[in-house]
Amino acid sequence: MSNDTRERLAPTGLATLATAAAVGGAAVKTFGGKPSAHATVASSVSASGAARFLTQASFGPNDLSIADVQSAGFAGWIAAQQALPLSGSHLDFVLQRTAAIKAQTPPGAVRPREFYESFWVQTVTGADQLRQRVKLALSEIFVISVTNGTVASYVDGTASYYDMLGQNAFGNYRTLIEQVTLHPMMGIYLSHLANVPANAATGQHPDENYAREILQLMSIGLYELNLDGSAKTDGGKPVPTYTHADIAGLAAVFTGFSWYSDNPIATGGTQTFFPPQKRGLSHEAKGPIKPMLAYPIYHQTTAKSFLGVTIPASASPDPQGDLKIALDTIFNHANVGPFIGKQLIQRLVTSNPSPDYVTRVATAFNDNGQGVRGDLGAVVKAVLLDPEARDDTVGVSQTFGKIREPVIRLANWARAFKASSNSGNWIIPTTSSPTSLYQTVLTAPSVFNFWTPGYSPPGTIINGLNLVAPEYQTLDEVSVAGYLNTMFSVLTSGFGSPPAGSTILDVQANYVAEIALAGNAVDLVARVNLLLMYGQMPAWLQTTIVNAVNAIALPNVSPPSALLTTALTQRVQTAIYLTFASLEYLVQR
Amino acid sequence: MSKLDFNRRGLLRAGGALSVFGAAGPFVMQLAAAGVASAQTPSAYKALVCLYLYGGNDGHNTVLATDADSWGRYFATRNAGFDPIALMPVGTPPVPAGSISPVTGRVSVPISPEFWGGVLPITPSTPQPIPAGTNATTRTFALHPFMAPMQSLFNQGRLAIVANIGPMIQPITKAQYLAGTVPVPQSLFSHFDQQGAWQGGTLQASRVGWGGAMADLVLGANGANSVFTAIAPSGGSQPGGLSLYLAGQTARRYSISTGRVPADVIQAVQARALFKAPGGPGVLSGLIQNTGSTSAFANDYAPIVTRSINAAGLVNAAVAQGAAAQIPSAPNYVNPFTGYSIGNPVAQQLEAVARQVAAAGSLGLSRQVFFITLPAFDTHANQNSGQPDLLGQVAQGLAYFDSVLSNIGGVDYRGAVTTFTMSDFGRTFSINGSGTDHGWGSHAFVMGGAVKGGNIYGQYPTLGIDLGGFTNPDMAGNNLVPTTSVDQYAATLGTWFGVSPGDLATIFPNLQFFAPSTLGFL
Repeated sequence: MSNDTRERLAPTGLATLATAAAVGGAAVKTFGGKPSAHATVASSVSASGAARFLTQASFGPNDLSIADVQSAGFAGWIAAQQALPLSGSHLDFVLQRTAAIKAQTPPGAVRPREFYESFWVQTVTGADQLRQRVKLALSEIFVISVTNGTVASYVDGTASYYDMLGQNAFGNYRTLIEQVTLHPMMGIYLSHLANVPANAATGQHPDENYAREILQLMSIGLYELNLDGSAKTDGGKPVPTYTHADIAGLAAVFTGFSWYSDNPIATGGTQTFFPPQKRGLSHEAKGPIKPMLAYPIYHQTTAKSFLGVTIPASASPDPQGDLKIALDTIFNHANVGPFIGKQLIQRLVTSNPSPDYVTRVATAFNDNGQGVRGDLGAVVKAVLLDPEARDDTVGVSQTFGKIREPVIRLANWARAFKASSNSGNWIIPTTSSPTSLYQTVLTAPSVFNFWTPGYSPPGTIINGLNLVAPEYQTLDEVSVAGYLNTMFSVLTSGFGSPPAGSTILDVQANYVAEIALAGNAVDLVARVNLLLMYGQMPAWLQTTIVNAVNAIALPNVSPPSALLTTALTQRVQTAIYLTFASLEYLVQR
Repeated sequence: MSKLDFNRRGLLRAGGALSVFGAAGPFVMQLAAAGVASAQTPSAYKALVCLYLYGGNDGHNTVLATDADSWGRYFATRNAGFDPIALMPVGTPPVPAGSISPVTGRVSVPISPEFWGGVLPITPSTPQPIPAGTNATTRTFALHPFMAPMQSLFNQGRLAIVANIGPMIQPITKAQYLAGTVPVPQSLFSHFDQQGAWQGGTLQASRVGWGGAMADLVLGANGANSVFTAIAPSGGSQPGGLSLYLAGQTARRYSISTGRVPADVIQAVQARALFKAPGGPGVLSGLIQNTGSTSAFANDYAPIVTRSINAAGLVNAAVAQGAAAQIPSAPNYVNPFTGYSIGNPVAQQLEAVARQVAAAGSLGLSRQVFFITLPAFDTHANQNSGQPDLLGQVAQGLAYFDSVLSNIGGVDYRGAVTTFTMSDFGRTFSINGSGTDHGWGSHAFVMGGAVKGGNIYGQYPTLGIDLGGFTNPDMAGNNLVPTTSVDQYAATLGTWFGVSPGDLATIFPNLQFFAPSTLGFL
């Protein structure tokens, strides 16, 4: 499905959907300054302002989405996006791919790469761009990874987990944390699926994995926080939020949950509780895609104390009741707003938000204005509409912004330049190698994600300023070269693998609008500047790229021939590649 | 201006160090770096190779005490759960899949201890003292059944074990730990924080690792090509966890691929033209290294690109010639019991390290620090299907490296290269059903020709949780309270590497609390 048709599903006045070339052409005439807004636009949002907003709120601006934001305004666009239905189901996609693959090669099965295809389909072509971008952000906080072989073996489960994150992107955190907790892929990844109670005779204890990481990474973090995200201190030292005793108490809550079954059986040779890889049992097909079930006989009944709450010992096990107490307790901890809010700011806008920015977002978490705590839609809105996020003068700030995530860079290309998939399946295999993008969705090396929110690179200016740059954690001499080589290859020959029977890579851009401008290097660079750098490319860089473009002579032939098209295309490739390569692009501000 | 300010500025000038650390950077390391760079004149090549086991290796199933008293509590505690992880006693024959084990009465499957047979006995050259709580006249030991190549290295005297080691601030007893009267590292049991404690110790607050701090000291001696002082081969297709270890005040981790061509060359910079624009590659080269941005993020990105460009040609040429080009390829990992074979990431990374060792002479390098990694030791569940193959990869990888180093261009490099393990933490003594949880103390390995191998250093602890009247002075709850500090371990390695006692005291300010300051395995 083409980019354009999906985009047109957005609830936008058709009047603003001018042709791509017209919007681009009209918006980019100014050289060295901000492009002027399109003439037909009603809101006060400039094209460059819209592009910058979309750099934070989507997988990258294109002509249509810029026009949408200019038409609806920032808040209007967010409201429209949050009202959009999900643009697709990753689960349906991998199930259809499974059927197709099995039809061709009967024993065939889907692999993680078919989920990656689904990721790219929705990421590039989904009309629900805000949801897509928040979904990726959530996947880097509530981490599962197909580097775990068991998770990788359930591509349907992996797809359903990513669907679940998308479904909850604007919902309530309390619902999200429960669905994360009960998702069987999280149950496998952090091993609370088939967790069993303590045994006093042997000293056996419940698995503490999920209990620890839900607190450390997904809700409250290691230290008590102020509303502005800073750590509370006692005698100069940060105050821990929990001790090992809290972990042990909470671990006992997460016992007795395992595979969904229409007919759950707790014991005996046909029991459905224990993992199939050990017992040789196969759970039913719905197991990997349905929330885990409680199996009360495997739930610990002793008293459980955590975070200042004690669930008393009980004669009969109550896994759901205990889970509710635990998740309510976590949800109501004062840390969640600043802890989750700050990470969403870091994922979408800037690595080092001011304390006031964090306070405003955390306040929105604590109360959406209607007395509701945990409204993620309100949190996302607060992140993106914050004056600090919307201040377009930070283009010269030393510390505002963040290094763009590698997969988002590739998505920027695909969206800005109207890439389409010849097969329709967006056949883009793993991009995890350091000689590629060093990142693929849901493939973090551990539950600590590709990078941690507090990462401050050794020996850098950022470090010297006591600031953080999470995405810097995957930069090294190999991966910086890998990115530059990958984008060079993208600009030269497209991306992905060729579909069966073809030699052409599956994902190809459409540079018609750029080629139309390429006779004038200034116009061409202005358009690339708008689409990739929201019109804030420094003047020296514009000059550098304009000169590089002009170095490619246009053949003086009449009438225009293929020779001219080739030269114009080379000009377009040069302008786009140099922009993607520039450090100014790599920092989103 | 205070006296300290004056000293700092003077030394920065003298050392030519870049003042990129800002006010937050501790100046003490810069003092040390400048002091030693001139004094240290290594006469021969030496390298330290850290093998980091990400996730926290279960030391209890890696180095085992097999005397009857220790084994009894080990077996009773771990032969439990729905997927027991207790290994089989020394001498137990492997039980074929489908047959019943006379030891456990359970049916053997290829991912059960019954299938692997008994643990592999080792005898330390110095008998271990009997710790309080252990009822034995002689302590006997063994390795996991997947570690036969390391049993062999131990017996040949090139592999040592350091027992019950962990990050500590001061020596601490179980009682002190439980009472909270002696400080302990922040956030024990947290992966990220304990990775920092192992790799950086007190330096982690300033984002420096002790490998990097030692690299700082030898940058001067390494001369023009000092960019290759601290090297990390990529661990395969995924970024690693926290890799603080190689970060110095001045020294930077230099990353290479594990393939025969270590540096990924930026093609468009090397090209004759960029999309037919003859000046394009030059323009590209300039703007990807530009440090004149208004953004600190951009200016911090540029030096990596510059290192990447400048070093690529040098290192690729250096390993393409002489002994470096002759390093034998890393063999696949073969499961010793099923024959299942896959690539061995440990051996692949060590192959890349061996090429660098072989090329060091041609690059004028006399000291190097390497950091390689193996993930997935966080065996909360299904430990039987996870940890054994990882230990097997470590064992086969180390044996390969030992063999390669024995003959690099006709020279035996084993005495010049010391390889050692680190991991986030040990794991709980008791089982959680099919795996184990985060602990504290654990056991580590050191390999090399300079190593006084065949021995166990530090006190191997009493095993067992407090249960049924038994009280273990070495375990708090489920966790070993360490009796040897990471600082002592690192100081032993550093001393061999040529780091002076004064510099060690600077890098490891808590070393003064531990005696002896070095452990004698080198």
